[in-house]
Amino acid sequence: MAKDTSNQKNSKKSKKLQSKGAKEQVKYTKPEESPNRLQEEEEEKAESTSSEELSPFDSEVEGEDFSDSDDDKSSLSGSESESSELAEDEDVFVSSDEDYVSGDGTSGHVQNDDHGESDDSRQVEESDSSEDEVAPRNTVGDVPLEWYKDEEHIGYDISGKKIKKKEREDKLDSFLASVDDPENWRKVYDEYNDEIVELTKEETKMIRRMLKGKAPHADFDPYPTAVDWVTVDDFEHPFPDAPEPKRRFIPSKWEHKLVVRLVRGIRAGLIKLDEKPKEEKQVYLMWGEDSNSTERHHVPAPKPKLPGHEESYNPSLEYIPTEEEIKSYELMYEEDRPKFIPKRFTSLRSVPAYEKAVRENFDRCLDLYLCPRVRKKRINIDPESLKPKLPNRKDLRPYPTTCYIEYRGHNGSVVSISTNPTGEWIASGSADGTVRIWEVETGRCLRTWELEEAVQHVAWNPAPELPILAVTVAQDVFLLNIGLGNEEEQKRVEELLHIDFPGAPDDSDSFATIVKWSKNDKLGGVRLTHFKTVSTVEWHRKGDYFSTLMPAGESRAILVHQLSKRQTQRMPFKLHGLPVSTAFHPTRSIFFISTKKNVRVYDLLKQRLVKKLETGVREVSSIAIHPGGDNIIVGSKDGKLCWFDMDLSSQPYRVLNCHHKDITKVAFHRSYPLFATSSDDCTAYVFHGMVYSDLNQDPFIVPLEILRGHSTTNGRGVLDCKFHPKQPWLFTAGSDSVIKLYCH
Amino acid sequence: MPKHYRPPGKKKEGNAAKYMTRSQAVKYLQVSLSVFRKLCILKGVFPREPKKKVKGGHQTYYHVKDIMFLKHEPILEKLREMRAYEKKVKKAMSKKNRDLAERLLSRKPTYTLDMLIRERYPRFVDALGDLDDCLSMIHLFAALPAIDREREKIEVNRIHNCRRLSHEWQAYISRTHKLRKTFISVKGIYYQAEVEGQKITWLSPHALQQVLPDDVDYNIMLTFLEFYETLLAFVNFKLYHSINIKYPPILDPRLEALAADLYALSRYFDANSRASEMELKLASVENGAKSKDAELEESELRLAQLQHQLPSNEPGALMHLMEDAEGKDEDDAETMECRNLFKNMKFFLGREVPRESLLFVIPAFGGVVSWEGEGAPFEESDQSITYQIVDRPTQGRKFLSRDYVQPQWVYDCINARIILPTDDYMVGRVPPPHLSPFVDNEKEGYIPEYAETIRRLQAAARKEVLPMPGMDIEDLADPQHLLAEGVIDRAEAIEAAEKKKKIAALQEQYHNELKLELQGANYSSVSNDAIQNATLNSEAVEASVPDLQQIAEDAANMSKVLMPRKKRKLYEAMQIGKGRQQAHVGLLRERKRKIDAAKGSK
Repeated sequence: MAKDTSNQKNSKKSKKLQSKGAKEQVKYTKPEESPNRLQEEEEEKAESTSSEELSPFDSEVEGEDFSDSDDDKSSLSGSESESSELAEDEDVFVSSDEDYVSGDGTSGHVQNDDHGESDDSRQVEESDSSEDEVAPRNTVGDVPLEWYKDEEHIGYDISGKKIKKKEREDKLDSFLASVDDPENWRKVYDEYNDEIVELTKEETKMIRRMLKGKAPHADFDPYPTAVDWVTVDDFEHPFPDAPEPKRRFIPSKWEHKLVVRLVRGIRAGLIKLDEKPKEEKQVYLMWGEDSNSTERHHVPAPKPKLPGHEESYNPSLEYIPTEEEIKSYELMYEEDRPKFIPKRFTSLRSVPAYEKAVRENFDRCLDLYLCPRVRKKRINIDPESLKPKLPNRKDLRPYPTTCYIEYRGHNGSVVSISTNPTGEWIASGSADGTVRIWEVETGRCLRTWELEEAVQHVAWNPAPELPILAVTVAQDVFLLNIGLGNEEEQKRVEELLHIDFPGAPDDSDSFATIVKWSKNDKLGGVRLTHFKTVSTVEWHRKGDYFSTLMPAGESRAILVHQLSKRQTQRMPFKLHGLPVSTAFHPTRSIFFISTKKNVRVYDLLKQRLVKKLETGVREVSSIAIHPGGDNIIVGSKDGKLCWFDMDLSSQPYRVLNCHHKDITKVAFHRSYPLFATSSDDCTAYVFHGMVYSDLNQDPFIVPLEILRGHSTTNGRGVLDCKFHPKQPWLFTAGSDSVIKLYCH
Repeated sequence: MPKHYRPPGKKKEGNAAKYMTRSQAVKYLQVSLSVFRKLCILKGVFPREPKKKVKGGHQTYYHVKDIMFLKHEPILEKLREMRAYEKKVKKAMSKKNRDLAERLLSRKPTYTLDMLIRERYPRFVDALGDLDDCLSMIHLFAALPAIDREREKIEVNRIHNCRRLSHEWQAYISRTHKLRKTFISVKGIYYQAEVEGQKITWLSPHALQQVLPDDVDYNIMLTFLEFYETLLAFVNFKLYHSINIKYPPILDPRLEALAADLYALSRYFDANSRASEMELKLASVENGAKSKDAELEESELRLAQLQHQLPSNEPGALMHLMEDAEGKDEDDAETMECRNLFKNMKFFLGREVPRESLLFVIPAFGGVVSWEGEGAPFEESDQSITYQIVDRPTQGRKFLSRDYVQPQWVYDCINARIILPTDDYMVGRVPPPHLSPFVDNEKEGYIPEYAETIRRLQAAARKEVLPMPGMDIEDLADPQHLLAEGVIDRAEAIEAAEKKKKIAALQEQYHNELKLELQGANYSSVSNDAIQNATLNSEAVEASVPDLQQIAEDAANMSKVLMPRKKRKLYEAMQIGKGRQQAHVGLLRERKRKIDAAKGSK
């Protein structure tokens, strides 16, 4: 019942408060405040009861007083109702203890006074025990009293003087006291304060209650109704009000199990406490007798280099570098400097500790775990075994090996040579402006023509019945009558070289500007005057046509002349780059034009490009066609020789890097499987170059001989080479104005 | 990342999938770089060189398989555990939880490396083949002082362990006479032994205070050492097992204290070999011995062993034992040769010579050795001593019955495998140059003078006859011999040239005759010229023939012309190497010449 009333009261009060000071109060302070209020209320109640008990007549007045003082402005009616409600409580209270009223009233008043003084203190000190009310007189502090058991004093006062203990009364005294004073049972000795305290009735009552197992205060309600202090509706988030789980209150099963396990282990001696585990490195027989396991798939580290003589503590004297050498090491770069400088000690006892020992070992460690390891195939072979096995040169004979005759007579470097078809005579053109005819066998100079300017090229007519020599000098091409052969032939030659009118012949105007055919009486031949410098002249195999090359002639660089008709034609092909060399096919009507990079093959009848051969060299200097017509050799200015098999590919079949200077000329032998190159490094190479009629078989190339003998002049070496048409002999023309014949 | 785990879009093949960089690997394994390094060292994983470096040329690449190999290593887990343990200890310490810290410290996690050794060296031969670095390092650490710096710490017990292991190894080598070559260099003493067909070379530093540089990461070295210690222990076990000796050896503490470990070990061997014999006897007697008695027996054996060790203090006993050992096993010819080199010789070492090295080396070649100091098997005054090894300017008291030699004599004798005359190695003299036995002089192209002398002595010992010194040297030292391709080639060239000359002359004659015949009267006037020309030609022929070197070179060039570019470049590179070697040899010769000239002038 009391609970209900207090509830009601509380709700009323809260309402009042709300109405009263809602404006200042923040909403959330409400629940905080309400318990305080409740407490106050309760205390108030207790006081009122006590006051009632003290003077039942003034109960109303006092109650009013208190209520007024506590909560000001509360309505009278409210207080009245309160008091009436409180009165209902009374009987419970009173019935429980009759002696309460008769207890000391002063203390009750003192209490009331205290209440009146401050609410705060009351809030802090909730218990009503006498200890709290009376300040302790002792200053022992928070130490056990046993310490003072044998002392005469207990603690110190404020001035530092000992506080003497009171004399303890002996048993007799106490007995007498108990006999004398009926209230003596109330007196209790307080050891702490060293005094005798008389228990009040209240206190005895409390003790009694406690002995009975009840709460010490009579007004303590062990079963209050639950009050929903928090109105959940106002919260944004749900208020957790789930009850604490059971597991929080009961001991863990698993911990228990673990403990049991450990205990059992310890009991059984399996778990040994306070004993260090044995640290014993076990060594055992790891590898059995026949460990036939597989090989490691692992790259083993290379072994360190073994020391040489120079690392000895006492090396031979020649291993020790001289002073100058050691000084020269200092000028070297750090990397090039030798890591180890040999030293010599005359006796073993004078050898010091090696200061780099740890360092070198560390470097080795770094190498072992930081360096990538690659299994590299080190070619431990004799370098000579790299060279291809050449067939015995003796089996490839005959080929020119030895210089047999020198043809001397020119004053300048011999630029070009040419043999007659039978191989009896050889013509040579020189930079001193002369053309000479030599007898091959004897080296006799048959005839000499004096031309004003340096001869560029000489070419003997391939037809044996027409002993005509084509010579290019600057812008002119001369066709000279050599004057060999029988009378019939002479007559024919003269006929051919006879031009009726020295002016422009029956040519069209356009070609008149390029080439002018005219008669040259002094030399006894025909003169073709070109518009640009002519570099080479090439005869067609039949001896009627010949082509001339003017590198600077652009679209009209290559001209074809017909001797019998004295006609001149332009090659109807577009030139791709500067032309270097030209050649007629030995059997078919095919024409080869070589530019600096490529060789182009044209069909003259169909007038179209047949093939383009890519040399891949820096600059082509000359080309030669194999008598079979399917193979070409190309010499270049970087000393490389390319062999092309035209049936095979447009790429070279083989590139031979033979000379270290420009190749000046390449040449095939007409009948023997030989070819030769001449170069500015004063050598000529002779190769065996066999071409098989079987298309499946590749050409077979073997270098045979290096021919030396020419000396260098103005940085040029051998300028031309030609094979003898019938014998395996080679003519070479050098810049040292000598022509040499090499025979087998 | 393994191939089958690759997320879509990542390469599954090629270098990008096959290799990963070091930082990728570290991230993948979730370890720190130092742990990764340790793992790599222990597992023997090394970087690779991919053909295409996907992540750039400055990175280090590892093969993915190697990284997976590391990932599945139990030691990786162990290392993580250790790291966690360290944290626990640190935490306990910083919380002043002394009890916990002490308890933790008593239970430090450890790992063993035996499985790794098994894995890296599946066969014993593999382990022997990889022993060079191991031995060098252990010998180095055996000579190092223990340090206790802030960061780096070399513990004393590890150094003691290294000493022990190195002595055990040396004792085995010495006992079984497997040492082949020795070389005193500035860096230390190199030894080469041959065990089971594997040539094992190691460097032992001079027994002096070693320098510890600051710019060296000792942690790396200690990690290597950790592995090597375990490896050598197992190798030693196997080796000791193979000669029926118990491992680890139990040494006489008195000798050990005197730092005569090797001698103590050799005595242990002797005792053990006897014990094993006894054991055999015992086994034969008590065929059905009960298991209960086994322990008792063992203790008996141990007693017997110790008893045997005691009397062998006398040198006679040792000698006797040596002979015993010889009789027993049959070894290859080289071992026999090594065993008998110092047979019946007694050495006494002075105080100033490197005792440890000589104690190792002399018994390895069958000699008996003692030293000045406590625990030595025999005294200096022993009359049967044949050689006393001293290294001091003068020797005060001399016994006439023995030769006094410098220590180098022993090493030179070993390398030459003959007993060299002691005159050059006498006390107070500067000994002849000490030459490396690891150099193939013939291949090098330069033979030092003393090597030649030794060869002569060797031949004399074998009762062979060598060609005269002057001839021999000249033949080899001929520069032309090196330049041209050998004597045979040169002879051929000369022959060819000669033939050419003859043929040319014959041809010339023939042609002249032919011409005369053919041309007859027509060209009669020419004939004079022709004769002149002929004479000229013969001169030209003369000029062209003698250049033999040219011909040889031409022959060499000729085949070079036909070589493909790749081979030609290789050939040229080889020639460069050859040239360098020749330059070195030339320099040596030049120096030698100068030295000789200086001597001559004096």
